[in-house]
Amino acid sequence: MSIGDNTAGPLLAGRGLVKAHGRTEALRGASVDLRAGEILAVTGASGSGKSTLVHCLSGIVRPDAGSVTYAGLRLEELPEKRLSELRRTDFGVVFQFGQLIPELTVLDNVALPLMLAGTDRGRARSAAGEWLERFGVRGQAELRPGEMSGGQAQRAALARALVTGPKVVFADEPTGALDSLASEQVMTALVHTAREAGTAVLLITHDAQVAAYADREVQLRDGAVAPLGVTA
Amino acid sequence: MTTTLHSDLRLAWQLTRGSDRREWWRITLTATGAALATGLMLAAVSLATLRGRYQVSVGAGLLNQPGTRAGVIVSLLLLLVPVLGFLGQCARIGAVHRDRRLAVLRLAGATPWQVRRIAALETGLACLLGSAVATVFSVLLLLRLWDHPTAPAWTGLALIAVGVPGLGAAAGALALRRVVTSPLGWVRRSGPRTGRGPGLLFVAGMLLLTVAALLAVAATSSGAPYRPGPPPPLMVLGAVMAVGAGAIWLSGAAARLTGRVIAARARSASTLIAAERLRDDPWAAARTHAAVLLVTVVGTGFVGVRQMLLEVLDSPRHLSENQSFYTTGLDLTAVALALALAITLSGLAVGTAESLATRRRGLAAQAAAGVPRTVLGRALLLETALPLAPAVLLSGAGGATIGFGYALFADGGGWSLPWTSLLVPPAVYAACLLAAATALPLLRRTIRPAELRYT
Repeated sequence: MSIGDNTAGPLLAGRGLVKAHGRTEALRGASVDLRAGEILAVTGASGSGKSTLVHCLSGIVRPDAGSVTYAGLRLEELPEKRLSELRRTDFGVVFQFGQLIPELTVLDNVALPLMLAGTDRGRARSAAGEWLERFGVRGQAELRPGEMSGGQAQRAALARALVTGPKVVFADEPTGALDSLASEQVMTALVHTAREAGTAVLLITHDAQVAAYADREVQLRDGAVAPLGVTA
Repeated sequence: MTTTLHSDLRLAWQLTRGSDRREWWRITLTATGAALATGLMLAAVSLATLRGRYQVSVGAGLLNQPGTRAGVIVSLLLLLVPVLGFLGQCARIGAVHRDRRLAVLRLAGATPWQVRRIAALETGLACLLGSAVATVFSVLLLLRLWDHPTAPAWTGLALIAVGVPGLGAAAGALALRRVVTSPLGWVRRSGPRTGRGPGLLFVAGMLLLTVAALLAVAATSSGAPYRPGPPPPLMVLGAVMAVGAGAIWLSGAAARLTGRVIAARARSASTLIAAERLRDDPWAAARTHAAVLLVTVVGTGFVGVRQMLLEVLDSPRHLSENQSFYTTGLDLTAVALALALAITLSGLAVGTAESLATRRRGLAAQAAAGVPRTVLGRALLLETALPLAPAVLLSGAGGATIGFGYALFADGGGWSLPWTSLLVPPAVYAACLLAAATALPLLRRTIRPAELRYT
């Protein structure tokens, strides 16, 4: 089976995920499937376990119970180093903010994942420039992240997440700190590029307008996927 | 005004008392630095109040004569440089935590000046604790060694005991002079971060030195019988200011140049990250790196001079002299240098840890996005290694020149060359890297996914 084969079941599957932070149970048996090329929105109230779910599915944290399978690999069985490599090559991660290194130029920030994968800096910067062009922020390439608007910085962060050609992008409230116009620009850029590249997107949001960009939506309530029709 | 100060002081006290474990570390380190500074200053002042010959029971006779006593006083004052650098680093620890707290104060209606004053008073209280402890122990020691301390000695002690917390508070306010805290928690630095470095201090020091040199020339060329030259305290103050500020400027300039040169040529991610950080804020570690440079120059020079002096003492011409007088002086200098190095390395370790704590959320996000911890760790070490390499090389060369110059020309010349002194710069460099590496375990904790949950 090749990674991304749409007919062979989900590309990424979380089953019965349980995760506690101290005495607080963030996830209580959540199960989610993500198919190749699909855009899935995970919605829910604050504290419903959305971020913890994305952390478990992307291998950032290990669940206390349950399993995460990506293209036949059981993530909980992989060593930390392999998980880190997976996040660098097969996954792209976008947070509300913080993923761009403030001291690097935007161009170097986007080139960084390629450099980490062994691409020489010149070629990495050249590829990064193309991705910035695609997201409409080529003109800001030599600026530092702090010198850009929030929307521009998020589009640069998306370019960084997609530059390695990942199979899955995890976007945790990518528009959480943006106004509606910037949100729209970021979401349009993400959806358009993901569709073009056949990248699956797991989108965490509490905003119904943002969730509307997805092919499918699941709701989390109290750490578990709520039955259809039940609102959080 | 008095009421406001009183309420600010009470608020600062409440904030200090309510500090969490991380903040208590900062307070403890600040108090330790203040205690060291107070101890050194009290010792210097007590010695400075002595006039003429004395029989002092410690120091192998070094404190008996005014001339050698003055040398000890200067050494004690020079030791203040790394201690002050250490205190500066302590003020920076927990910056993020403190900044958030200051933002809450602004939200509660405090003016920017009030926020600065409360933060400065917090530092002053920590310094007061250190100063009080050091003063008590110093007074007990003084009363054991000196039957009837003079009135100037007591006055000096009192002034320093009160002055150190005051200076600490002033330094705290100075450190926050470019920090503007918004009520919504956005803390920024106003003005360019690169700045001009400590240029004014350097110029002031050079001016003082020039004035002192002119006085010396005037005193020696007038044809009159011998008169004392420039006032030694003025000369020493000028030299310390000029050398200290010059070293800070050199460190900052070396960091900026190294960052600029390497960032353009970086091939690996860790080198690129480290170089860009240096270019972005070259002054971040300039004070600690300046202390490293001074320790390297003095240490390398001292090892060379010490070798030559021991050879001189072993020569037939000097065999009849009291050797322990000189060897005790050399040993005390070596201890002082070792202490200066230890303080400097502590400052470096503290500064590296603080740099991690400040950037913890960004680092956690990097790790979550797949940047290996080894890359982040290597970048952290390179931030210390890259700017220090040329600076330590330069300062080592300066120190070696002093040692070799002594061997070639002092006391008739012809002494064996102090090759062992060349080991000092690489040893200091390795020690600095080890000190920076002590922060690596903290990196593991810093990039915990839990950090992603908090803004």
